[in-house]
Amino acid sequence: MSNRAGTRKPPGSASSGSAWAFIAFPLLIVFLFTALPTVVGAGLSLFEWTGSGLPRFIGLQNYAAAFGEAAFWQALRNTLIFAILTVPLTVVLAFLIAVALEAPWVRGRTLLRTIFFLPTIVSIVAIGFIWRWVLDPTPAGLLNHVLIAVGIPHATLPDWLGNTPWGLATIVFVSIWRGVGFSIVLYLAALTNVPRSLYDAAAVDGAGAFQTMWHVTRPGVQPMSFFLLITGMIGALQVFDLVLVMIGTNQQAWTDVLNLYLYREFAANRLGYAAALGVVVLLLTIAVTALQFVLHRDPTSMAATTRAGGRNRPIAATASRGAGAGTS
Amino acid sequence: MTHSRPPLILRCVVHVVLYALAITMLLPFLWMVSTSLKTRGEAIAADTVSLIPGGAPWEWQWGNYAAAWEKANLGDFYWNSIFVAVVVTVLSVLHNALAGFAFAKLRFRGRQALFLALLTTMMLPFQVYFIFAYVLCGWLGYIDHYQALIVPFLASAFGIFYMRQAVAGIPDELLEAGRIDGFTDFELFWHIVAPAIRPAIAALGIFTFMASWNNFFWPLIVIDSNDMYTLPLAVAALAGEYYTDSWPEQMAAATIITVPMLIVFLIFQRAFVEGLTMTGVKG
Repeated sequence: MSNRAGTRKPPGSASSGSAWAFIAFPLLIVFLFTALPTVVGAGLSLFEWTGSGLPRFIGLQNYAAAFGEAAFWQALRNTLIFAILTVPLTVVLAFLIAVALEAPWVRGRTLLRTIFFLPTIVSIVAIGFIWRWVLDPTPAGLLNHVLIAVGIPHATLPDWLGNTPWGLATIVFVSIWRGVGFSIVLYLAALTNVPRSLYDAAAVDGAGAFQTMWHVTRPGVQPMSFFLLITGMIGALQVFDLVLVMIGTNQQAWTDVLNLYLYREFAANRLGYAAALGVVVLLLTIAVTALQFVLHRDPTSMAATTRAGGRNRPIAATASRGAGAGTS
Repeated sequence: MTHSRPPLILRCVVHVVLYALAITMLLPFLWMVSTSLKTRGEAIAADTVSLIPGGAPWEWQWGNYAAAWEKANLGDFYWNSIFVAVVVTVLSVLHNALAGFAFAKLRFRGRQALFLALLTTMMLPFQVYFIFAYVLCGWLGYIDHYQALIVPFLASAFGIFYMRQAVAGIPDELLEAGRIDGFTDFELFWHIVAPAIRPAIAALGIFTFMASWNNFFWPLIVIDSNDMYTLPLAVAALAGEYYTDSWPEQMAAATIITVPMLIVFLIFQRAFVEGLTMTGVKG
């Protein structure tokens, strides 16, 4: 895959024992805290285990139990709705904003880029504080306060973080708010690699701004769009901490997500059951990754690939979680 | 789009929409800061929405910061967070860079296979491996100690991958010249490779620092006792059962935790954005 550079053997570079000295410890860390726990976790999903004592083998009973729980299906449904709403909306919005930010006649582009990126760097805990404050269900909550001020009676306002589809919609909105800057910055990099000549040709043909955007810019950054969709989906399937800091760990039919469910089971020392839920997330991730290869097999579609848009990128981006084990 | 200037009306609309969106991005943060300077009464009364805290600057409630700081003992936790973030950043960048160098420029048996395996671990969801990683930390006696916050992060598949991409761009002739000068592999790394990939090192360093500083979930499960909290845990606890139900104090705490990252970001913005566009890390 991404081994293109690696296969080019450096001419004359000596085979090296020190290579092992350089890689041994880093690989040990990755093995101990990522690879091994994944394999053990998958195995653990076939056991009943509280974390102490001996695990008891129960076959597929954890899965059977999960599939029999309404809570599981609710969490799965919410996770999928979240992913399917958040990711395309983020990508489309980021594309439009990035195209606008690329236009030389827009004032304050650097400032705007910084502002759009700001939520990405802020601690999830602070984000939870801020949005619980803004969305507080009492009339004093900031959003409610504004809506009441413009004449909407408080009684008709939903509980923005409550157990209704509004709660899920809120999570989607805040997630887009938080993540769009990341996609914008990547789009900006991709945009600089769309050949100038294509824009010139479009101008000669008399194409307007929107036609140019649709017929030149959009196909030009298509690999990046694809990359953002796939990595976005993989990330969205892992949605967890945003819900945790905004709503808490309690089970609500409309705001529960798979990983919150998993976390509750983990906290209750039902490690085998939690592991089974983890395997479900893993299988969904694998499905999305497989989709990438099915949809993206045509190598010529990579022609417009930017430095930032190579084939290996989807893997690179999912890695952030490896880089910071549950960053965000 | 970039060549012909679109009509005035379109340019106006684009500006209006862009700045409206930018204000949407910024407004919650402005509210955070302004609320942190209000009295509790102002924060929940008719004044809620006003971005300027009541009274003149000399009446702003700077005491909210002191209160949040005292109640949540943020001084101690600042130290915890900084210590962990600095140790993790320095060591993991070094380890990842060395491994990346080996994968890019040194030859050894199984290089391809190992690198592929490494790439594969990058797509694994955290949720599937944190369970046994936690159990393992328990067995190693790391729970509730700095080790739990540091050791699992001393290297990362992503960091190795990122460093390998950066090192791969160094011309082999440069390394050959070093070898002719009699450099060992480590000297090659130290005197030739590391200086050549300084921008990538800076970017990875910032990512790592940010990931460590903002990490919430992992400390949440491996840290039980109060005095080992990192800053995000302490601030989260401030809102929870322990300390305060005062919105201004909570917003003060949120500001306290945000400002250091903001400063780091503004200083290193260029490297940050360049690093991001180079590999597409998602923080």
